[in-house]
Amino acid sequence: MMPNFSYIRPESLQEAITHLGSADARLHAGGTDLLPCLRDQVFDAKKVVSINGINDLRSIQETEDGSLRIGALTTITEVAENPLIRERYAALAQAAAEVASPQLRHQGTIGGNLCQKPRCWYYRGEFHCLRKGGKICYAKGGENQFHCIFGGKGCYIVHPSDTAPPLAAFAAKINIVGPKGKRTVEAAVFHVEPSKDVTRETVLEPAEIVTEILLPRPLQGLRSSYRKVRARQAWDFALAGVALVLQFQGNKVTKGRVVLCGAAPVPWRSYEVEKVVIGSALDDATISRAAAAAVKNAKPLEKNDYKIPLFQGMLEEELQKIKNG
Amino acid sequence: MKEEERDNYYVQGLAVPETPEPGAEPKPWSKTAIVGQARPRVDAYERVSGTAIYPSDYTFANMLYGAILRCPHPHARVKKIDISGARQIDGVHGVLADTTTGGDIRWPYVMQWPYEAEKISKLFDSHCRFEGDAVAAVAAATPCQAMDGVRAIKVDYEVLPFVADERQALKPDAAKVHDDSNQVNKQTYSRGNVEQGFGEADVVLEKTFRTACELHTPLELHGCVANWDGDRLTIWESTQGVYAIQSKVAELLGLPLSKVRVIGHYLGGAFGSKLQPGKYTVIAALLARQTGRPVKLFLAREETFLVVGNRPPANMTIKAGIKKDGTLTALEFTGIATGGAYPAGGMTLLDWLVRDLYTCPHVKTETTDAYINGGPARPFRAPGHPQCSWALEQIIDDLAVAIGMDPVELRFKNIPTVSQGREGTPPYTTTGLEECITKGAEAFGWQQARQRTAAGRKEKGHLKRGVGMGSCVWFAGGGGPPSTMIVKLFSDGSVNLNMGASDIGTGTKTIMAMVVAEELGIKPEMIQIEHGDTGTTQYATSSGGSKTVPTEAPTVRSATIEVKRQLLSMAAVDLAADPADLRYNGQYIEVAGAGSRKIKITDITKLKKRGVVVGVGYRGPNPENKVINPFGAQFCEVEVNIKTGEVRIVRFLGAHESGRVMNRLTFDNQVFGGITMGIGLGMTEFRVLDTNRTGKMVNRNWHDYKLPTALDVPADMISIAIEMPDSEANNTGA
Ligand SMILES: Cc1cc2nc3c(=O)[nH]c(=O)nc-3n(C[C@H](O)[C@H](O)[C@H](O)COP(=O)(O)OP(=O)(O)OC[C@H]3O[C@@H](n4cnc5c(N)ncnc54)[C@H](O)[C@@H]3O)c2cc1C
Ligand code: SF4
Repeated sequence: MMPNFSYIRPESLQEAITHLGSADARLHAGGTDLLPCLRDQVFDAKKVVSINGINDLRSIQETEDGSLRIGALTTITEVAENPLIRERYAALAQAAAEVASPQLRHQGTIGGNLCQKPRCWYYRGEFHCLRKGGKICYAKGGENQFHCIFGGKGCYIVHPSDTAPPLAAFAAKINIVGPKGKRTVEAAVFHVEPSKDVTRETVLEPAEIVTEILLPRPLQGLRSSYRKVRARQAWDFALAGVALVLQFQGNKVTKGRVVLCGAAPVPWRSYEVEKVVIGSALDDATISRAAAAAVKNAKPLEKNDYKIPLFQGMLEEELQKIKNG
Repeated sequence: MKEEERDNYYVQGLAVPETPEPGAEPKPWSKTAIVGQARPRVDAYERVSGTAIYPSDYTFANMLYGAILRCPHPHARVKKIDISGARQIDGVHGVLADTTTGGDIRWPYVMQWPYEAEKISKLFDSHCRFEGDAVAAVAAATPCQAMDGVRAIKVDYEVLPFVADERQALKPDAAKVHDDSNQVNKQTYSRGNVEQGFGEADVVLEKTFRTACELHTPLELHGCVANWDGDRLTIWESTQGVYAIQSKVAELLGLPLSKVRVIGHYLGGAFGSKLQPGKYTVIAALLARQTGRPVKLFLAREETFLVVGNRPPANMTIKAGIKKDGTLTALEFTGIATGGAYPAGGMTLLDWLVRDLYTCPHVKTETTDAYINGGPARPFRAPGHPQCSWALEQIIDDLAVAIGMDPVELRFKNIPTVSQGREGTPPYTTTGLEECITKGAEAFGWQQARQRTAAGRKEKGHLKRGVGMGSCVWFAGGGGPPSTMIVKLFSDGSVNLNMGASDIGTGTKTIMAMVVAEELGIKPEMIQIEHGDTGTTQYATSSGGSKTVPTEAPTVRSATIEVKRQLLSMAAVDLAADPADLRYNGQYIEVAGAGSRKIKITDITKLKKRGVVVGVGYRGPNPENKVINPFGAQFCEVEVNIKTGEVRIVRFLGAHESGRVMNRLTFDNQVFGGITMGIGLGMTEFRVLDTNRTGKMVNRNWHDYKLPTALDVPADMISIAIEMPDSEANNTGA
């Protein structure tokens, strides 16, 4: 059941920020995550502030220095289908195409995808858990087959976004405006680990709005890919996923990032894999070492140790694929 | 009406079947013109265009909306309940709880009461034994106000210890669902001597299997609209059988059957979960009585996950012995399952395939039903069978590997012709298993596929393919009495069929129209069907158990033949002939051997005078000491990513012997639907209860409870019909 709330659709960022400053105000973009959260009483809202009237947030543009700006209101479908993104940032386009279902991709926005709430079934259900301000984590010692194997502390969610890992891997930046003005944050540190603060998922302060995402101009020899493993072939989050963004010189990896999905409460940068592959030729031996390194420090819960061979196998497969171009 | 138009009612030149002597049961048709075709549904337009009115579509002026307050704990006692808050909410007109009239109505979770009668619930039971059990209910002017009303009810619960896993439930220290043991029932079966059988075997294998709990979640939600007109109650319910709803509601409310009218024209899916009324049905009726207004009560999706039923989880150990030549010598099976917090048939037919599917002289089974603090089991597309298949077919495959025999050949060696699991081992009218396996294997290319995939597995690469198959028999499926049908032929030659049975989406109406059309030689489009209404149509058992066509089609045929008989005797007057000399040919009735002496059906004097001819048909008995069961064999090819464990189903083929195929489209539709549901059980669907801490269901939504999507089901699905003439089963051979 939906709570009673007032609804407002301002036409400027400034106005939106002012409205978001009032008590229990919630930002509404595509609403595909917000409305279910309200219906399931995950949190309450007195005022719903739609940013859909702010048209400046709705475009994909190449800037003069060759980087790309994606407005926060750009739909996931647009991200998946944009020719420039497909050509230069393949991993992002692939990740966007793997999100949810066609309807949700048409309605959901990239800004909302980064800011979406966790999918832990206790969090979404009638359980007043730690992340909702309660006293315990129900997943710890509970039904945690879809929870994290890295970075869990107090809370053991996996971050649900498919687009966040490639954005972190491409070293994208996120522009934010709020009551105190503008700021820019690295996508890789946009999400907050539970060890720092278990009640928030992003660095956003109250009434702050994500306005756009900036993707740097791709380096020479850059290859990227996104792979998602899930229990069902559509309309499902990642059991395991990986965004690979690697710069090659011949068959040698010179630079790059590896970010895991379905692994941790935030998009999880695998420094272990990066360390093995960067500076090496991506041969079979390196690939198996890298895949093994990926899960070396994993801490599975009672019901999700299947994720260890899964991540390892998936990384072997994906590194082989990207090696072959 | 113009002459040509009227002729349009008839299929030109169609050879209609001979009318049998009065009192003689007709033989199944040897040749058919309409039955067996691939015909779109008679109500396809209504369903596709949205003009079909489903029970959940009904609205009435003045109608209120009902909502139910449900216990949030798997096990709790209501210490105190205060409903006064609900009455304060704007728009709330009625409130029910255990203290209001009707609140203490006894509530059985099964129709037939197989176990101890005292393990019975009440409509609002202060001892809540599963999450979602009803505590109170509200009727209000809008659905939101009803929910607000529910939330304004204050309940003080004493939360009790729970058990949410049937494997734990039988341990001595488990929390008790009722006061005594958590064991509901234990059943054993034995034939021959399994010890002797294992002694004779060359190979004996034993393995343990589990299938998870599968939840009922049909597209149309569960619910109804209830309205009183004086002391007469009318219910529009999403149901598989209006008469089943009528009888239970009448019994529970103490009303004569004649005062309860239940209407259910369309239904958006049920699969066994709508064979009976729910508490929601009775609650809607009571709220409607309390408020004097129609009340609509459809559950929210989340509620349906908790209360409308499931295919219970099953834990099965199977031991099997075989000789090197492929002869099965012994099967021993133990199964533990749970019907939830009340007796609800948790282990129904769980051992049936072990008892009946393959020839085996020595068989012993033991099945145990345990209480847990969970929602009730319900019939679910062949209760017990898929669970048992999962165990039996895998051990058979393992035996095949162990003796180095092709799994298809092994199954061939053990095909029964009698039902070994039943008293007196009666024969089947037809055993299509052998043909299902042969034709299925041939069409699937089993041999080639086995070789190809085996060779592929030796090659490099991490995507490996394999093929598998399984066979099955369904315990029921033959149909039987009672059934009563009325066929009315109007003076213009068009026909009205009056049938009590529901069309649960399987195409019942279409098939019955085809039977009438076959018999009368008229076009199916000229037949209007009135059905699913206890006020105006005849008694019928619920549609389910694959028995609707074999129950209803013979009855329809008998009623239609009765119409023909009456037409013949009416025409005899016009033609001044003996009715025995007359032949019915669809458009005309003519004197045999004197084709010129004939009369158009619509010109028959008595028909014109009366305006209608009414034929009543009854379902005759099934053959004595014979078993009418369908058989099947299914084959599939899968691709496994051996690095990640991902499985892709590449193709699927089902070969089924289901009696006469009445309509090829609806037949294939059932086969594909069944395969899809099987993929759900095997690959993506499972209920998750928070067994350690709270006992609550954590995946009660369509996102976390994963039904297979179109991408999880192979595009390459083939249905093969194995039709074996069956002259004994019934007069249609269906
Ligand atoms: C059934 C289902 C399946 C799904 N499967 C997937 C999946 O497989 N992969 C995946 O990645 N996602 C998946 N999603 C999530 C979906 O992609 C997100 O719901 C969607 O991207 C959110 O976008 P939106 O515009 O609708 O956000 P909204 O619902 O409008 O907002 C979501 C949240 O973000 C906040 N927010 C939105 N925009 C901004 C902004 N510009 N600045 C600050 N805060 C903001 C809102 O306040 C809200 O809390 C699924 C969702 C559903 C319902
Ligand atoms: S994993 Fe996090 S969101 Fe889930 S129950 Fe634990 S604290 Fe709550």
